[in-house]
Amino acid sequence: MANITCSNIVKSYGAFPVIDGLDLSIPDHEFVVFLGPSGCGKSTMLRMIAGLEEVTGGRIEIGGTDVTDMPPGDRGVAMVFQSYALYPHMSVADNITFGLRRQGVSRSEIAPRLEQVADMLGLSPYLDRRPKNLSGGQQQRVAMARAMIKTPKVFLFDEPLSNLDAKLREKLRTEIRKMHLQLKTTTIFVTHDQLEAMTIADRIVLMRDGEIEQMGTPDEIFERPASHFVADFIGTPAMNFIDATIEAGHVARAGSIALSLSPELFPGLVPGQKVELGLRPASMDLAAPDAPNAIGGTVVLVENMGAEGQVITQVDGAEISFVTPQFRQVRAGETVHFALRPDQIHIFDPETGRSLRGV
Amino acid sequence: MGRVISATLARGLLALLIVVALGPILWTVLGAFKELRDIVTPVPKLLFEPTLDNFATILRNPTIRDGLLHSGVVVSVSVLIGAVLGIPAAHALARHAQRFGDDVQFFVLSLRFMPPVAIAIPFIVIYLDLGIYDTLFGLILVYLITTISTVIWLSVPAFERVPRDIEEAAAMEGCSPFEVFWRFSLPVAAPSLFGAIVFTFVLVWNELLLALTLAAQNATLPVVAASITSLGKEVPWGVINAATVVLVIPPLVFIGLLMGLLNTSVQSGRK
Repeated sequence: MANITCSNIVKSYGAFPVIDGLDLSIPDHEFVVFLGPSGCGKSTMLRMIAGLEEVTGGRIEIGGTDVTDMPPGDRGVAMVFQSYALYPHMSVADNITFGLRRQGVSRSEIAPRLEQVADMLGLSPYLDRRPKNLSGGQQQRVAMARAMIKTPKVFLFDEPLSNLDAKLREKLRTEIRKMHLQLKTTTIFVTHDQLEAMTIADRIVLMRDGEIEQMGTPDEIFERPASHFVADFIGTPAMNFIDATIEAGHVARAGSIALSLSPELFPGLVPGQKVELGLRPASMDLAAPDAPNAIGGTVVLVENMGAEGQVITQVDGAEISFVTPQFRQVRAGETVHFALRPDQIHIFDPETGRSLRGV
Repeated sequence: MGRVISATLARGLLALLIVVALGPILWTVLGAFKELRDIVTPVPKLLFEPTLDNFATILRNPTIRDGLLHSGVVVSVSVLIGAVLGIPAAHALARHAQRFGDDVQFFVLSLRFMPPVAIAIPFIVIYLDLGIYDTLFGLILVYLITTISTVIWLSVPAFERVPRDIEEAAAMEGCSPFEVFWRFSLPVAAPSLFGAIVFTFVLVWNELLLALTLAAQNATLPVVAASITSLGKEVPWGVINAATVVLVIPPLVFIGLLMGLLNTSVQSGRK
C-alpha cells in the first residue's frame, strides 16, 4: 500500500511530446480512474508508472521511493492488461503463482494464498485448465488473481473490461470495486468509458491531449465540470450546448430561450458577454409553458430507454434533448416545454472552454 | 443434385492432383524394390517379386554410407548452430532492435539473394588457402550462412506474433529480458519456430551445388546420389531409386518427429 507521486512528467516519442509536465499525486488506499478519449495519454501514464514505458523527464515515486529508473518487477506494482496477457503455455494455477514461484516463495506458503485468491474470484474449479479454455470473464479473473496474489503496493488496470460484453463488464466492475473495499490497495484504473469511471472511482483524473483537464470525485466532475470538454465527456445523454448572450438581470438569451441564472454561482457575468450554456438532459424535465426557465421546442424524436426516455426537440433550428419519465405521452411533431433549475445551468467561456462558475 | 455433381467433380479433381503429385514418388519407391529387368521392361509392372538388393547395394557401398553420415553430421550441426544463434537474434530483432532492425533484417535476407554459383568458385580458392577444402567443417561453415539467415528470417514474424502484453506481464513479475525470452516468448512462439527449423533442415539437406564444389571425398548424400548414375556401364535404375528413397527418409522422419512434438505441445495446451 502506498501513495503515488508523479512530478513534472514528460513523455516524448521522438521530438513530439505526448505528455508535457504533468503533476499528479495519489493518496494511499485511493481508487483513481484515468479517464479520457483514446490518445489522451492515460495509458501511457499508467505504463510509465508500471515501468513498461520510459519516462523522458520528471520523477515517479511510489510509497516514498523514487522508482523512475527501476525495472517494472522491482516497483511493487501489479498490472492487469486489457488483453489479460495470460501465459498460454501454463495452467491457471501456474499463471497465478508464477510471480511467487519465481521469487522463490515456498510451495507450502503459496498453496494457501492460491486457495484464498481462487476462492475470492471463484476460480477454484478451473485451476488445472489452460487459459484458452476459459471464457473472457474467467480469463480476466485469472489476470486479477495473478495481480492480487503478490499483494502489491499498487494495482494498475489498463482498460481491463473493454474486451468483455456489457453485462459481464458491469459484474466485474462491481467485483473490482468490492475487491478494493476489502484490500484497500492503492489502485489506478484506466478507461475511456465515463460510466465505468463514474461508478468505480474514488477520484477521476480526466485527461485530454496529455494534460489533466480536471481531477475530482465523480460528483465534482459531474456536477461542477471545469470545462466544456469535461461537461461534454461526462454524462449520458450528452450535455446540450447553446451559444447565448448575457442580458441585464442575470439572464442568458439565445433566440427564443431566456434562462435566468444564479448570481451566486456566476457572479462575474456582465451584460453583453458571450457565453456557452450547458444544459444536462437529465436535469431537465417537462414543465408548464409559463414555468420559470421553460424552453419550448418541437419534438423530433423520442428515444425509449426503459424507465426514462430521451426527447429530442428542435428549438430555433438547433437540437436540444431532455430526459423524462413521462416520455410516453410525448409524440413527434408536438410542441413541448421543459425547464431546469438555475443552479443546474453550466456556463462556459466560448473562447477558452473553461467554466465561468465563480465559486 | 448440382451440389452432388460439383462435390464429385471436386473430389475427382483432387484425386487426379494427388496422383500427379504422388505418382512419381510412388514409382520411385516401387522401383527401389524392383530388379533391373522389372524396371526396364517396356510394359510397366505393378506386380513383381520385391527385392532388397538395391538397398543392400547402397548400404554396402561405403561411398553412400559415408555420404549419409556426412549429410547427417553437416546438416544437423549447421541447423543446430543456426537455430541456437538465429532464434535469439530473431527475438532481438523482433522486440529490441528499434533503430536498425529493418536494415539488419534486409541484410539477413540479402544473404539469400546471391546465387550460390557466384560464391562457389571464390570459396574453393579461399577454402584451399585456409586448408578447409573438402572438410565437413568447411561445409558446415558455408551452410551456416544459409541456416542462420533462414532461421532469422522465418523466426522474426514468429516472435512478432507473440503478444507483447505477455512479455510485459512477465516483466512486471520481475523477469529479466533473457527470462522473458526463455520462459515466455520461446514457448509461445515454438510452433512457428519448429516450422522454420524444418524448412531450414530441408533446404540444406537437399543442397547440391556448394557440396559438389567444396567437397570431394567428404561428399554429402545429394552429391553421392547424383554420382550414382556413373557407377556402372548400364544405368542402375534400381539403385538410383533406392538411393532416392534413402535420401528422402531422414527429412521425412525429422518432419514427422517435429510434427509429433508439435501435436503433443498443442494437445497439452488443450488440456
